[in-house]
Amino acid sequence: MLRLGKKIGFVAGVILFGAVILSTRYYMVDVPVYHFFGHFLGGGEGPDPSALHLRGEFVESNLGAAQGASGSLTVRMIAQQFVFVPQCVEVPAGVPVTFRMTSADVVHMLSFLGTDYGLKVVPGAVTEATFTFAQPGTFKIPCHEFCGAGHYAMRGQLNVVPRERFAHMLPGERRTCELR
Amino acid sequence: MSCARRTARVRIAVWVGTLAGLFVATLFLSGRNSSAQSSLTQASATPGNSEPQVRIPSNVAWTEETLRTISRGDAFRGLLLARRCNHCHGEEGFSSVAAFPNLAGMDRLSFWKQMQDFRAGKRSSPVMEPITQGLTERDSADLAAYFGMLPTAADAQDNRAFPQAMHDPARATMAIRLIVFGDGQRGIPPCQACHGPVNTVKGAPPLSKQNGDYLEQQLEYFSNGLRSNDINVRMRTVARQLTAEEKTALSEYYGAGLGPGVN
Repeated sequence: MLRLGKKIGFVAGVILFGAVILSTRYYMVDVPVYHFFGHFLGGGEGPDPSALHLRGEFVESNLGAAQGASGSLTVRMIAQQFVFVPQCVEVPAGVPVTFRMTSADVVHMLSFLGTDYGLKVVPGAVTEATFTFAQPGTFKIPCHEFCGAGHYAMRGQLNVVPRERFAHMLPGERRTCELR
Repeated sequence: MSCARRTARVRIAVWVGTLAGLFVATLFLSGRNSSAQSSLTQASATPGNSEPQVRIPSNVAWTEETLRTISRGDAFRGLLLARRCNHCHGEEGFSSVAAFPNLAGMDRLSFWKQMQDFRAGKRSSPVMEPITQGLTERDSADLAAYFGMLPTAADAQDNRAFPQAMHDPARATMAIRLIVFGDGQRGIPPCQACHGPVNTVKGAPPLSKQNGDYLEQQLEYFSNGLRSNDINVRMRTVARQLTAEEKTALSEYYGAGLGPGVN
């Protein structure tokens, strides 16, 4: 009987824990498969962190917001010690935006400060998530995972502009809002 | 006996099944709730209508093979090869003109990378591009080994431009702040987090014994894109954020020999 009680208690605890986690309004997109099974599933099949600039989708001319054939918006970013590239991204409000991110060195984690969204960035894997930013505004993107001596100064920026003010993307355009 | 064993097996099966079920349910719920999927996908670019032209900043990647090539450098052979560098970069690795970089105590990886980039035309210099045409990868590694082991202590016989005077000592505060703390609000990491001595990143040269004029020019080139051979736009991103006054302050501070460094 005691054992049954323990069992029920444990299961109830797990459910309660999950409920607490799910009820928070903060959604950190992780790479769970990578953490649990990455070693067995061949976690090394993502982009090579040391050769991002040579080949693949994270070459520097392909970073920033891009419009796909179906009109969907994809933002590609690299997190590295100790900057995000591109450091400033511009997206329209109220439209689903897909983020594709990878790291060039160590694990980074970022949140769009002031929104409910965050991402974990792992070297050798691509983190993909689709977010919809409801309100226009300027959101800082700090790094949340200690990544080295310059960690606390690693910060990007997300500009969410009203949909009508987001100029139409030209074919092949990659949009950022960096200082030039 | 066997009945007890079977009961144990059933109990284990119930446990494992419950846990697995909860795990799957959690995954499912979290995926649905956040309307966000995460996945481990290959580096295949999503096909678009027209892709921009691929720009490769540098052919060098820090692979094991590259590191092995560089670490095999022979300093004595480098010494013989370095005779042709003396004229501009000084016999002791300290140049007599502040616009030319000092090479004494230079980081081997960054030296080797710059040689490859000059040779491939990824970093433009009317002087260095023709010179590096005659250097093989091994030559560059040997030179890197030689310059890396040159002492950075002052030599009375030496005709070096380093250190230079700091024109405006009042700018030192600005420089120290950027070197030690950076500027988190603008996303500028501290210089010493990559260039040493606190932490070093592959390809980032030490700055504590570098000429100020050279540093200021390179910061300017990085920020306006005339120099763009940094991997993953790292230094360009940082340099773009710096104001003209900050660039001057930083380069003068390092050029005056005041910057933190190990040697």
